[in-house]
Formats: sequence, C-alpha cells, structure tokens
Amino acid sequence: MEQSILDSLGVEIIGVMSPVSICMLLVVLLVSTLSPSSISSFESSAASATTAATLVYAESPSDPPARRFVGALLNAAAFVALVAVVTTLLVVLYYYRFTGFLRNYVRFSAFFVIASMGGSILLTVLRALSLPLDAVTAMILLLNLSAIGVPAVLSAAVPILLRQAYLVALAVIVAAWFSRLPEWTTWTLLVALALYDLAAVLCPRGPLRVLVELASSREEELPALVYESRPAGSSVSHAMAAFGSVELQPVETTTPNPTISTQNPDPGPRIIEVHRNEEETSPLMSNEPNNSDTGNVHQPYIATMRGRDVESNQDPSSSSSLMPTSESEEFDTSRGIRLGLGDFVFYSVLVGRAAMYDLMTVYACYLAIIAGLACTLILLSICRHALPALPISIALGVGFYFLTRLLLEPFVVGASTNLVMF
Amino acid sequence: MGDAVFSVFGSSHVLPNKKSLCNTVLWGRFTRQLNKIVPTHRMEGRRDGLLFWLISLIVLSGAWRVVLPLNSAAWWPYVILIFTSVGFQEATRLMFWKLYKRLEVILDAFAEEKFRSRLSWTDKMQIALAGGLGHGVAHAVFFCVSLLTPSFGPATYFVDRCSRIPFFLVSAIISLVFVIIHTFSMIIAFNGYADGRKVDQVVVPVVHILAAVMTLMNLAPGGCSIGVPLLCCVGAITMYYCWQMVWRKLTEHGRRQRNASEIHIS
Repeated sequence: MEQSILDSLGVEIIGVMSPVSICMLLVVLLVSTLSPSSISSFESSAASATTAATLVYAESPSDPPARRFVGALLNAAAFVALVAVVTTLLVVLYYYRFTGFLRNYVRFSAFFVIASMGGSILLTVLRALSLPLDAVTAMILLLNLSAIGVPAVLSAAVPILLRQAYLVALAVIVAAWFSRLPEWTTWTLLVALALYDLAAVLCPRGPLRVLVELASSREEELPALVYESRPAGSSVSHAMAAFGSVELQPVETTTPNPTISTQNPDPGPRIIEVHRNEEETSPLMSNEPNNSDTGNVHQPYIATMRGRDVESNQDPSSSSSLMPTSESEEFDTSRGIRLGLGDFVFYSVLVGRAAMYDLMTVYACYLAIIAGLACTLILLSICRHALPALPISIALGVGFYFLTRLLLEPFVVGASTNLVMF
Repeated sequence: MGDAVFSVFGSSHVLPNKKSLCNTVLWGRFTRQLNKIVPTHRMEGRRDGLLFWLISLIVLSGAWRVVLPLNSAAWWPYVILIFTSVGFQEATRLMFWKLYKRLEVILDAFAEEKFRSRLSWTDKMQIALAGGLGHGVAHAVFFCVSLLTPSFGPATYFVDRCSRIPFFLVSAIISLVFVIIHTFSMIIAFNGYADGRKVDQVVVPVVHILAAVMTLMNLAPGGCSIGVPLLCCVGAITMYYCWQMVWRKLTEHGRRQRNASEIHIS
C-alpha cells in the first residue's frame, strides 16, 4: 500500500510544491527589488515600527553580537508568548461558538491586509520600478482587488484558482512584511515558531491540538486559512468540492496593542470562520477518483480527518498579535493536500531573508525547504493525523543557510572566480 | 515484453496478422500508463539528486574550509582541491546508485502490482537522466548562476587571466559543458553499474577528472582560450559515448523483443 500512497502522493506533492515555490519566488523578487532601492526607508520603518516581534529589543546593527543574540531571543520569546495567548483566545472563542463575530472579523481583516499592507507594498514597488500609475487608478485597483479578495478566501462559490491566487497573494504580502524584521530577530523567530508549532500540535494540551479535537468532536471544519490543492483530473470532485471547500480563515483576534505605532496600521487579526458542509461527507466518500485500493484505505480516514484540519494563520501585521500558525496537513485523496497559510508565510520569510544575502543561499534554502516539505508529507501519509509542517523544513532551511553561508560560499566562489570548476 | 502487454489488455486484443502494428499500438498505450508513475519519480529523482549533490558539496567545502581562501597564484593547491572534490563526487555517485537500487526495488514492485510489468529499461534510463540533470543543474547553479548578480548592472567583469571574454560568458560556457558531462556521465554510470561493464564504470570518473583538470588550465594567463575549447571537446566525447551506448541497448532490446514475439507466435 505504501507504493500506491507514494504514487498518489507524487501528484499531490506537486500540487502543493508549486504554490509554495511560486510564493517563495514572488517574495524573493519583492525582497530583491525593494531592499536595495529603498534600504533607507526599510531601516527607518523597521526601527520606528514597534512590531510585535520587536517589542522587547529593537535591534540595531551597531550592537555587539552577544547583546543582539540575547535581544533576539527575548524578542522571539515575547512573540511566541503573544501568539500562544492569541491562539488560546481563539480556542476559547471557538468553544463558545462566536462564529458570526469571527466570520465578520475575518472579512474585515482579509480586506484590510490586502488593502493596507498590500497597498504599501504596491506603493514601494511603484516607486522602486518607476512605474507610471497615477494615484486614482492605483486606489481604484487596490480597492477592487481587496474587495474581491474578501469573498475569494471566504466563500465556496469562487473558482478554486482565484482562491488559491488570493491565498498565495496574502502569504506573499505577509511574508514581505515579515522580512523587514532585523536579521537576528528573524532567524531566532523562525526557530522559536518552529518549536512552538511542534509543541502546539503534538502536545496533548497544546492549543492547536485542542482546537483540532474540538472541531473533530463537533464534526466541523476547522477555522483557519488553508491552501487546498485539488487533485488533478478529478472533475467530479471539483463539483462536489464546491460545496465542501475548506473555508478556514485564520483567526486572529485583534488585541489592541497600546504600543502600536501609527506607522503600522494593523490589518487586524483575521477572522476564523467555520463552515460546515454536510454535503461534503457523502460526495467525498463516494468520490474516489483514484483506484479502489486507495479509496478503501482512505474512506474511514477521510471521515475522521476532515475535522482535523488545523490551520491558523498568522497575521503578519507587525503590530497585531498573531495567531500562531500551525500547519497540519491533511492528506485526503479526494480533496488534495491542505497546507496552512502560515507555512507559506514562514517558508517565504526564510527564503526572503536568504535572498538578502546571496542567490546561492536562496537556492540552498529552497531545496532544503522543499525536501522538508516532502518529508513532512510522507510522514503525514504514514502517521495519518495532524502534523506540524514547520519544524522539519525550517530546521533544514536554517541549517542549510548557515552551512552554505559559512562553508560553501568561500569554497565555491574562490574556485569559480578563478575559473576552476569541477 | 509481448506477453506482458497482452495480459494487461486482456484477451480482447487478439494478435492480428499485422503483428508489428498491433505491438506498437499496445506498447504505446502501455508505456503511456507506466509513464504516469515515472514522471513523478523523475521529478523527485531530479530534486533528490539536486539535494544530494548540494549536501556533498557542503561536506566537501566543510572539509576544505580551514585551508581557504587559497592563494590564487600557486596552482598546486587547486590540483589537490580538484582531485579530492572529484573523488568525493564519484564516491557520492556510487552512493546515489546504491540508493537508486533500493528505490528501484520498490518501484518495480509497484509497477508489478499496478501494471503487471516491471520498469522498462527506458524508464530506468529516464531516471538516470533525471539524476544526472540534478547533478548538472546543481553544478550550474552553485558555480555559475549564483555569481550572476553583479551582471545586472550596465557594465561587465573580466578576469585577469582570461581578459578576452567577459567572466560571465566564460563561466556560462564552462557550466554548460559541465551540465552535459554530468548528465550523460550519470546515464553511462548507471548503465555501467547495472550491466556490470567495467569500461563504463571507469570511463565516468576519468572523464570527470579530465574535465576538471582542463579547467586548471584557466589558471594560467591566457590559458582559457585553450582550456575551454578542449573542455567542449570532452563534453562532445561524453555525449557521443552515451549515444553509442544507448544505440547499442536499443538495438539489443529491439532484437530481443522481436525474438520474444516470434517465440510467442510460434
């Protein structure tokens, strides 16, 4: 049976790798376009922005390494604590069934993220590339795009491609904002979040696991922003899946942070929305586009796993508290693999930060992340329950970044600039 | 081969008199089915190949880190560098082959179960091709593409010792040749290991070392005008050798298939 899983995994792995790769590519392009030309504005905005990630220690390049390291650790600890608090708040809200409130909140925050954060990125891109676009047109375009984004990530009636595009766009915007953080803070934050993710999804009392269990006991879809890749060629399941789409949006409760600086309007936490679709069960069960072997294996799996889709996304807004994202992916042959948007964001943050150093590190980190993602997907097909997608990829990515930067680069550059190759 | 095809498509496919046409039609449908699993594994073979070579490069650079940066005036440290690197990469290739053998067992079992036939030799060649491409692309990216960032401006760079061509062009040409060499060496090596032919197994490291040593010529002032064309010749030789090998296998298998189908009919 492992072979058939491997085979169907192959198609779905590609379905998940492509949006992750596209997201990383876009973030690398954004980062490399924006950083050299507007480095001064970056530094100033990073310095003056009191983000949630730099609450404790505002890093500046002139500090000695020990102080920077300790400061970065404190930043990361504060951030993870904030994220844990917000997730717990989310679990509580979900427990008391505040779905109307959450839904509207998600609508508001989706609009706000695309409009304000996306708008500011658009502005910097226009400035950096000297594109001729007047303010009125830009405003109209931006407002329209944000307005479409609201139903695109929410409702099931929107074509899947549009929803996927908007989710990737959201991830790109968030990741681009995150890569403005100072360097040491970024790395420690990534590692800390990977560890937190591991704990939150796998520990019995972790908030995400509790959320998953709550959702599965109520047999509802979990509230989170999820990227869902449809398996190719399953036209029947497309129609059914229109009812059964996972409209999870990340919930981020906006806890107004008194130290928020005015320069970072917080788009606010995204609302978690829970959709329940009873129609999903029967179409999914009967709808096995693959051969009957995998169908028999996966049918009982599908029924229990549908509820266990845990994904919360993080709101990248710098000043708002974020919902920790956990990525648990669910392997479902009739619905494709689902990957949390937070995974997209943090993979892209890692690659974006590597892009600020060199192309070689970008490529090494990209390979590492993709390999980690493949390992996680294979583990998922073996373990059959919610798994965190961050730890393996982030560990490999960070490891490869530092190995490449410290070891590979002097070696290869020294050889190839002398035109000695092997 | 013929009986496998017929068992897949059932007795409704009666062998007509025009047996060669029927064979080709059924063979086409069969390979198209089998090609569904092979492409995904090819892609993963390529990606795993890339990661593999990256890891081997990192290990190598870790070992050499203490001695770097090398004084570029002296040429003998580069000789040691090249020999150790090529040796390590060939050892990695052997490890890759062993890994592939294990994967092949799984794939064969899977193909047996699903399509009632094993992986054909073309599929194995394609997987070897993907692995070789992974090696070549890893080389190209780490030795050439990652150094391209300075080229985006309005000017260009020249190396002192090779002052007639821009640096980026030379490194691109060398990387192209190496991609060809790595890709085809992998096919030759895999076939050599599979068939147990010592000639093939020895040719690959020899070609690799030859190519690497030729780049040493670039250390001499003006040496690249000799070194690079010679390197292109080595690449062409590798391609030719691989072509010969594939052609030989093709005729061999064609003969075998014809014999098998004749036996089946009679």
